[in-house]
Amino acid sequence: MAKFQRGDLESKSEKELSEKMSDQSDDEGPEEVTFNDSKAVALKSVKDARDSVKRGKELLKEKRRKRQLLFQEQKKSRLLPEALLEEFDTVATKPPTLPDVKGEQQEEKKKKAKKPKKVSKSLQGNCKVMRLKDGSANTSMQKSAMDFIQARLYGSGSQRTTNAELLSLQKKRGLNQGAAVQFANKKWGADQKAKAEKCNKRFIHRQKLIAS
Amino acid sequence: MQAFKTALIRSVMGELKVHRVRFFDYMPSAVRALAFEPQRERIAVARADGSVEIFNVADNFFQEKVIPGRETRASEALAWVGERLFSAGLNGEIVEYDVDNHKVKYTLDAYGGPIWTIASNKQGTHLAVGCEDGTVKLFEVCEGKIQFEKNLAKQKGRIISLSWHPSGSRIAAGMMDMIRVFDTETGQSVHRMLVERGIGTAKSKECVVWSVVYLTDGTIVSGDSSGKVKIWDDHTGTLIKSHQVTKWDVLTLSASQDETSVVAGTSEGTVIQFQFLSMVLGQEERGWVRTRTFKNHTHDVRSVLEINTAIVSGGMDTQIVMRPLLDKIEVKTTATAFRKIQFPHRNLVSCAKKTGLLLFQYPTHLELWRLGESDGTGMPGSSLPIKRKPEKLLHLKTKGEEHICCSAVSPCGEWIAYSTVASLRLYRLHCDNNNVSITKVSKLPKILSSANQICFSSDSSRLFVASTCSTVHVAALSQTECKFVTTLKSKSGSGQAIHLLAASEDGKWLASANSAHEVHVYNLKKMKVHCTVPVYSSGVSAMAIHPTTNNLFMVHADQQLFEYSIEQKQYTDWSRLVQRNGLHHVWLERDTPVTNVTFSRKNPAHIVLHDMYMFCIIDQTLPLPDNKSQFYNQLTLRSLPEKERKSQSHAFKVCKTYKELLFAGLMEDQSLVVVERPLLDITAQLPPPVRQKKFAT
Repeated sequence: MAKFQRGDLESKSEKELSEKMSDQSDDEGPEEVTFNDSKAVALKSVKDARDSVKRGKELLKEKRRKRQLLFQEQKKSRLLPEALLEEFDTVATKPPTLPDVKGEQQEEKKKKAKKPKKVSKSLQGNCKVMRLKDGSANTSMQKSAMDFIQARLYGSGSQRTTNAELLSLQKKRGLNQGAAVQFANKKWGADQKAKAEKCNKRFIHRQKLIAS
Repeated sequence: MQAFKTALIRSVMGELKVHRVRFFDYMPSAVRALAFEPQRERIAVARADGSVEIFNVADNFFQEKVIPGRETRASEALAWVGERLFSAGLNGEIVEYDVDNHKVKYTLDAYGGPIWTIASNKQGTHLAVGCEDGTVKLFEVCEGKIQFEKNLAKQKGRIISLSWHPSGSRIAAGMMDMIRVFDTETGQSVHRMLVERGIGTAKSKECVVWSVVYLTDGTIVSGDSSGKVKIWDDHTGTLIKSHQVTKWDVLTLSASQDETSVVAGTSEGTVIQFQFLSMVLGQEERGWVRTRTFKNHTHDVRSVLEINTAIVSGGMDTQIVMRPLLDKIEVKTTATAFRKIQFPHRNLVSCAKKTGLLLFQYPTHLELWRLGESDGTGMPGSSLPIKRKPEKLLHLKTKGEEHICCSAVSPCGEWIAYSTVASLRLYRLHCDNNNVSITKVSKLPKILSSANQICFSSDSSRLFVASTCSTVHVAALSQTECKFVTTLKSKSGSGQAIHLLAASEDGKWLASANSAHEVHVYNLKKMKVHCTVPVYSSGVSAMAIHPTTNNLFMVHADQQLFEYSIEQKQYTDWSRLVQRNGLHHVWLERDTPVTNVTFSRKNPAHIVLHDMYMFCIIDQTLPLPDNKSQFYNQLTLRSLPEKERKSQSHAFKVCKTYKELLFAGLMEDQSLVVVERPLLDITAQLPPPVRQKKFAT
């Protein structure tokens, strides 16, 4: 009940305040605000702030908890079903008991003896031993060397022009003069034309010349 | 894409339908290195795609051999040791080539990182390589191999260029910002000569000594990235003279055999000659003077050579230019004329005559195209409307890193074969309407492991594979398989590889031509050698067997024509007449070899030839032109009245309408296919040239 009342009071005071504020906008001078009213307002704002902090903390907590749950679930889903796991366990425990039998031990020895022979046999056949090219180092060095040449001949400060310009210049200075190559040969300016087209479209779009 | 055109041209054969093909995007590779072998006058050319070509200087600069490249192998430098050829590249390997069989003999890792340069001494006992890690490694040249001997004192920074003193006791090495001279006995550095950097912004960049030349009198000439050619004295280790040659880089140097002249190639595309001349007339004191400048390239000159009578240069614009030095030539002949080599001297196009298919050979793939069709007739010289566009049927990529060395499509268009150095592959093509499928013939006989040249018989029932040591393997083709029949071997026992094969129409004869200029004719019924054509001094650049008369028609690199009757084992009367009369000087002065010969089915007396600039129909019934008569006489003939034409016309009908030809040949339906590759399109794809200010532009 007390809360209710206080809320009522607050709402009342708020209304009054707002009324006062709206009154202020009129050309009347500032009105008096009682000490009690302002105190109530200040208290309320402090409480609000405290509440919001508390609420934030709770939210965070909730989030963390949910995440924790999610992780756990994921972990579970990754694991194999328990029944299977148990089976594995039983199988894993068995092997250590096997070597106790002598016959089997001997067999194993035989196997061990056979294995290296097999490898050598296959080598004698189709395979031969060779050093695999330590390619990565070599190719990277080759690449850096090629980059060096490229940088020296065509890098920055090498003052290069384009083939089109060279040919156009020849056309301009030659005996039978003609247009620059990019105009004379339709194939040439293709990429530039495409670029211009694209640029145009973008411009039109940006200017909203066509309603899209 | 206006790449196909059917046009009518007027010729001796009346009217001829022409397929003008421009969809073969052949792109030559940049020239990276040149090396000259003075004894046999051969020049080896290393290209950026790793291939090496060998040109015969004495034989009209004919491209005798092509050693195909490989994906990762790009040669930076070449060196001859006697008749053996070595190269080294940025993959860190030294390669020796099997020059006879057009392939790599072995490779050897130098274990010094990328190799920038390789040089042999004059005695032919040692090779020196300059590596990225700063070592100069000496290799001893032994019988059939090379063996590591020692490292010279290791330096900081890469070794870009090397040159042996002719005595073999010292080596000059060009590095970053300096030149070092090594004593080969002790391996220690004798001199350290600092090369100054360029001015302005280039000051912050290291100066690269791209090339050095060590002369007998102890002079060292260097070319560097600041654009200077510098002359040094190796006794004192000091600079004698510096020539500012270009604003860009001086990339390469070469000294003449008598060491009186040095040429330098620059990024601008110029070649500049320096000569050792007396400064004042009549006085003994001599010095290096800049004398001549040649501008034959549009792009960087990456390699230059001064041979006895000419300067040979090559670079990023993929051309090889031979510029004669007129002061050293006594008699002016066609062999010493100015030459530009733009296209290979062999066929990269093969065509299936019966079905109108063209096979284009690129280094790493093949393309099969079907020619377009047109209906109707038009005015001579006009283009015809296209009914069906030309169509790319197949794009066949090679397996592995090796580049293709030869390829062929069978006349019926059902088989495609290509070979790399490592393997030969045969495919069967199924074409029904619009569906094209291809099946690989999986079980090839083991003996068909690789080929220098491939050829199908005219009925496509047999495959001829030219293999090592001038042998030809014959295989029979059936629906599903390929069976080995026999190996044809010539009696001469020449070890040279075969570069041309020609099968006769009736399936009875096969002719082969090898790099030793030998032409053998085999009888395919008896499977043995029938005869050998007398060896001529010049290499065969194209040949074919006439479909009706079975005469072997050969064109040589020096432009001579021969016709040899296979059945009678002698030259024909026409051929003797040509030799007696001599060919017209205009014909002999052409500077590109004929690369294809085909015959007309309609008129057996007509032979169609082509080189890079023209195609020509030879009419054997007409008289030969004498030296005084006009050679290109089509226009004058046209203006003459009908009656006088007969008396004026001669055997050679040349058509220059189509230029930059890679292929021209007659199809079964009497239409002519010309494959053009405009040089402008090649230039468009080259790396950027330097920016030069031209006056008034």
